[in-house]
Amino acid sequence: MADQTPVDPEALREQVRDKYRAVAVAPGATYHFHTGRRLAAHLAYDPELVDPLPDRAVESFAGVGNPFSLGRLALGARVVDVGSGAGFDSFVAAQQVGPEGRVVGVDMTAEMLKKSTETAETMGLDHVEFREGLAEDLPIEDGWADVVISNGVINLCADKRAVFAEIHRVLRPDGRLQFADIANGRPVPPEALRDIDLWTG
Amino acid sequence: MPRAGWQKMIEDSGFTDVVIGAAVDTFGGAEGEDKARAYEVYGYAFMARRS
Repeated sequence: MADQTPVDPEALREQVRDKYRAVAVAPGATYHFHTGRRLAAHLAYDPELVDPLPDRAVESFAGVGNPFSLGRLALGARVVDVGSGAGFDSFVAAQQVGPEGRVVGVDMTAEMLKKSTETAETMGLDHVEFREGLAEDLPIEDGWADVVISNGVINLCADKRAVFAEIHRVLRPDGRLQFADIANGRPVPPEALRDIDLWTG
Repeated sequence: MPRAGWQKMIEDSGFTDVVIGAAVDTFGGAEGEDKARAYEVYGYAFMARRS
């Protein structure tokens, strides 16, 4: 996808909401991407961190890579998960940082927030919370985070530079950004970039 | 956006020590595989340090 989008940012946001609302409430449906435990295995997540999670924590996972593959999170770290969805990566992060750490997931889709929040309560995780917000306007104070993670979300944002500026704001100096996203090896023609279905898939 | 575009944007945004992981065939076997193949789309892990 392009640096700056040729599609209407709000229309794109609504399309993304619609797509991931469906993934939250109907995780077993067929999508043009993999989901759930099959996807987590495909992306080489550590089974020791995935297997203990309840199905509702994993079934709506729709990431594009493994943000933990380049480095494990430190015990006690404060983590922000940008576009946390149903919370899968937040729950993986929570196990890595332990109860002395803290994980805040941020998502704009009500159905995802409801699911992730209820799952955290079910799991009895006091160090994980989910907040409503946009990647371009994170509800996190300046310099709070040791690490920011994200998975397949920044690509879906119309203004990626604004997202990176916001991530920079919430990270402490020397803090770490670890995310996964898609990249294309062949140029995407302008007419295809205006196809909003391409952005959500 | 190509990998090099991601790297430049990350660096332009005030991050250093950018590391990009190996390509992952994210859409392989999924319904979106054909579209992904058309533009050689793969998943990548990125890591960078805030300056």
